[in-house]
Amino acid sequence: MKKLFNFIITTIIIMSILAGCSNNTEEFNTGRTINVITREDGSGTRGAFTEIVGILEEGSNGEINDNTYIEAIVQNSTDAVMTSVLNDEYSIGYISLGSLNDTIKAIKVEGVEATAENVQKGLYKIARPFNIVYKGELGTLAQDFVSFILSVEGQKIIADKGYVQVGTDLQHYEKVNNMEGTLIIAGSTSVTPVMEELAQAYKEIHPKVSIEIQSTGSSAGIQAAIEGTAHIGMVSRELKESELSELTKQIIAMDGIAVIVNKKNPIEDLTLEQIKSIYTGKITEWNGLIDN
Amino acid sequence: MKYKFMEDFMKGIFLVCAIVSIVAILLICIFIFAGSIPFIQEYGFKNFLLGTVWKPSNNPQAFGILPMILGSLCVTFGSMVIGVPIGLLTAIYLAEFSSKKLYKFLKSGINLMAGIPSIVYGFFALVVIVPFIRDIFGGTGMNIITASILLGIMILPTVISISEAAIRAVPKSYYEGSIALGATHERSVFSVVLPAAKSGILSSIILAIGRAIGETMAVILVAGNQARIPAGLTKGVRTLTTNIVIEMAYAADKHREALIATAAVLFLFILAINGIFLIVKRRTNN
Repeated sequence: MKKLFNFIITTIIIMSILAGCSNNTEEFNTGRTINVITREDGSGTRGAFTEIVGILEEGSNGEINDNTYIEAIVQNSTDAVMTSVLNDEYSIGYISLGSLNDTIKAIKVEGVEATAENVQKGLYKIARPFNIVYKGELGTLAQDFVSFILSVEGQKIIADKGYVQVGTDLQHYEKVNNMEGTLIIAGSTSVTPVMEELAQAYKEIHPKVSIEIQSTGSSAGIQAAIEGTAHIGMVSRELKESELSELTKQIIAMDGIAVIVNKKNPIEDLTLEQIKSIYTGKITEWNGLIDN
Repeated sequence: MKYKFMEDFMKGIFLVCAIVSIVAILLICIFIFAGSIPFIQEYGFKNFLLGTVWKPSNNPQAFGILPMILGSLCVTFGSMVIGVPIGLLTAIYLAEFSSKKLYKFLKSGINLMAGIPSIVYGFFALVVIVPFIRDIFGGTGMNIITASILLGIMILPTVISISEAAIRAVPKSYYEGSIALGATHERSVFSVVLPAAKSGILSSIILAIGRAIGETMAVILVAGNQARIPAGLTKGVRTLTTNIVIEMAYAADKHREALIATAAVLFLFILAINGIFLIVKRRTNN
């Protein structure tokens, strides 16, 4: 008798918990607050985004103030930002254009759609360079790999990944025979996916070469290049002067930063000014942005 | 003679093994403090520890970690409020009330819980607890409550296994004496056995605090990670550990040193907790 009673109680509790979980079929409510999602301090994506949108304010004496909304959720990877936006109808975030997929929605900025084409034409405003950096002279192998990246073949891979190629007058890659050895490349998590594809393609041409890619973050990549623990560093932001004095940089691609929202969100278009207001906490509710 | 040599030789090997862990902890101490003391001296101990603004991208940069210290304390306290009662009652149930069949089932479940990687807990919380909390309280769903519930769940295995062991270690005669005096089973357990196991239970709680304060990967996903003084239960929070992990990848120069100094503060916290644990344990043995 007692056992049966216990069993019934437990079942009721579990059922009521489950029932509580399953009632989210409401319409988009424009009165709700905007859940702002940003990246962590020091991230290349955040650095570029805050600078372009104007969240980073520079004073006359060289002081810089990052005015990012204090309530903004901080996530430390592109995937985490995407997952958060996917799970939260009322959120807004930003990610690298190349990582964009159709589980979430990229909104137009100043009426311009976030596409590689628009970035290359200079129409889409929020764009940044992908750099590689190295100290001193590159070795034969590294030099050859860099010229592969900057060739027609290499830039095609970059374009296929959704990024934007750098130049227009590209040359075809000329195969050098008997390349072998190991190349270590470290740095930005944003550059890593495309660098992996480039490395893959290069290894198909030169089977004896092994390329090791470490996804450690822009600053760690610079550190590795300076210390010599990596041959090439990947950096997804502009370099600081102290860094440029020690390293040589080469732009290998451009990347747009897409402003993303949940698919249930009806919003289509924002101006840079509106994005800035959202990210500095001046606009906190959706109803000012969405016309009914 | 040969045996003597063998004896000394093996003694040496055992000694080396014992020293390895000490050397490791010493190296950690040296690395963390050597990396952080110059920074703290330069930035100012008070500015660092009591500063309320953390803005490494600013110029001049601001590295105040008071928000993170308070954040860690809030989340840890919240996880105690949720995890300790559940864990303790579970331990009592396992030790004194459950049937053998159910015990086997529950015990292996709890052992399994202890073995689940923390990032898995984090994803579970991100897809289950966060939307649930968002539906109830509105906002982002990434806040102190969510992080506390998650940590409360994560500390359960620690609380349960150590408390259960403590309860089982109470001499059977206590319980039997109480029954002989006419007390019911429940009364004997709660009024006689439990007080006798008090210090063991306390140790389990202290170890759980250590686990909660040190937890990182799971908390990152659900805490919101805003670097400001905790502003309410339904607002986001950043802990000491998440501060380090979130920003370490891209940090350079001063920023990096500040993060190592954060690790030093965290290290001191853990030392304090372990100190308290030792004191509690010693009191028990006397």
